[in-house]
Amino acid sequence: METLFINDIKPLLDAVAKQMDLYVPKKSGDYYVFSRYEKEGDKGFEFNNIRTCTPIKEFLLPVCEMAATTPGPFEAKDIKPFAVFGLKDCDLRSIAILDKVFAEEEFKDPFYAARREKMFIISSDCSDPAESCFCNLFDGRPFAESGFDLNVSQAADGFIVEAGSEKGKDFVKKYSQLFTTVPKAVMAERDERRARAQKQLQENNAELAFDRSVKEIVEGSWESEVFDAEAKNCIECQACTRICPTCHCFYLYDTKQKDYFAKMKMWDSCMRMAYAAVAGGANPNKVLGDRLKHRLMHKFVYFLDRYGMNMCVGCGRCVDADAGGMDLREILKKLSQEHKGEGKKKARVAK
Amino acid sequence: MFNSKIFIPRAAIIENVQKLTYDTKLYRLKFKYNCKCDRSSESDYKPGQFVQVSVLGAGEAPISICSSPAQNGCFELCVRNVGLVTGALAALKKGDELGIRGPYGNSFPIEELRGQNLIFIAGGIGLAPLRSAIKYVIDNRGDYGKVTILYGARTKEDIVFASELDQWPRQENFGVFTTIDEPQDGWTGNVGVVTTLIDKIKNQSKVKAFVCGPPIMIHFTIKELLDAAWAQQDIITTLERHMKCGVGKCGHCYIGGKYVCTDGPVFTYAQINEMEVEV
Repeated sequence: METLFINDIKPLLDAVAKQMDLYVPKKSGDYYVFSRYEKEGDKGFEFNNIRTCTPIKEFLLPVCEMAATTPGPFEAKDIKPFAVFGLKDCDLRSIAILDKVFAEEEFKDPFYAARREKMFIISSDCSDPAESCFCNLFDGRPFAESGFDLNVSQAADGFIVEAGSEKGKDFVKKYSQLFTTVPKAVMAERDERRARAQKQLQENNAELAFDRSVKEIVEGSWESEVFDAEAKNCIECQACTRICPTCHCFYLYDTKQKDYFAKMKMWDSCMRMAYAAVAGGANPNKVLGDRLKHRLMHKFVYFLDRYGMNMCVGCGRCVDADAGGMDLREILKKLSQEHKGEGKKKARVAK
Repeated sequence: MFNSKIFIPRAAIIENVQKLTYDTKLYRLKFKYNCKCDRSSESDYKPGQFVQVSVLGAGEAPISICSSPAQNGCFELCVRNVGLVTGALAALKKGDELGIRGPYGNSFPIEELRGQNLIFIAGGIGLAPLRSAIKYVIDNRGDYGKVTILYGARTKEDIVFASELDQWPRQENFGVFTTIDEPQDGWTGNVGVVTTLIDKIKNQSKVKAFVCGPPIMIHFTIKELLDAAWAQQDIITTLERHMKCGVGKCGHCYIGGKYVCTDGPVFTYAQINEMEVEV
């Protein structure tokens, strides 16, 4: 992989912003959120040493978007190239999960696929993982090695820039005057910073070193009462699913406008009471504990069976966001301690 | 696929509306256009598949196709007025326009059963999806053996496809037994829930049984069939769940690791047991 050095991050951002809309992290209270980068003298930008508070899916699957109109046609042609700076390894892995559902199957989502193609990804290392981060449980790391166009690693007096795709390589070639070769000492510094962050994650999550895979723990808990007990802390705010970078349930509804009809697509949440209710009134997931169980089964069992990967990247956003104080890590811990025997469901092999 | 873009319905025109009961209508549909991208014909589906029907501005509802693909130039949907979309649908007339996405889902394993006897057990509007398979069998009558249909409705006013239930027994080797839940004036047929008819098929436990109806009916019918020595994989039923996208993405019909919309809606009882779904 091509590795280059740049003293200041601003010229790099300006170069990207010259080509397309660029979104960068800015501080909002204690957290980072993405905000549009203004070419001249942007003051709000801050290099984020941890993930942003909001998930990357908001760029690929907007909260609410139009999916079809009558009269038509309505197509995904007008989506312009855009870049996002400051994504972390967990964000890149969440994109890989969404790709499985929306870009790689028989039925592709044309809007997702178009945005994905037009997106320029600039990731960066996590030098200071949050208390709620537990990506190491799902083989995640505080730095990315693939899945980006450019990756930026901060060092004491500059930044290491890596190009990880053709798009990234073309970019560094075009702006080669911005970069110099990486001093040896800086490379060593990066390795040291990365190792330190990884150690910090392992120490923070020492209690999450289970004797079985998360899949085995969750799958074996079909009859567990932990779900009902934990659901007592849930106030159904649905923040966990909205802020989750991998949760992708959506709702379709029709609206009537002045001179056209539109089919709209909007985020939905499996924790919502009426999520599975059918016309006529039947609701197979009426009990909150059952909905919580379904959420975990989907993330750690069903998705793994279907696509060969966990539908959780361990970013910990749901832990930070939950208004009722529910903590996914605590639920997993309780499930792992509660029942160590074979689950009712037999283990199945991933497709 | 009727529509080439996943979220864009294909326009269809209602060719005919037939009132089946006080709350149920049969719609015959034909596509409005055959353009370069949406070329597939009205017969391009398999018995057991469903479509997402949209009523402009009101929304979409998943409805089973109830006609046989051997019927050319149109397909039929049987819809009971129970909710928002089906209510809007009930107000539509001949010549009105609908949106169709699909056909989605797997299908009844009717092709694999050529040469065999078949049993269909339906409750209420559950006859609609089975009618697609029954009509398909009639269209290919020489390929199938004895057919037995058990049908139960709450009252005689709730019986759907009444004239067809009368005509089907005229086919060779075709038995139709109908029952209503409670005695009623002017009804001389069987009385009792549909499980009371299972005696009629007790000696056929090696024959595949297709069961479709409201959850409570499915629950007790399967129980009776298992008691009468049917194997789990010989009981075929359909699951009904809230559906939005129809293509295994939106998550609403996800149950026990299966999408009812793409992995179903047709499942054997053995599969349903594996999914740990209670029926």
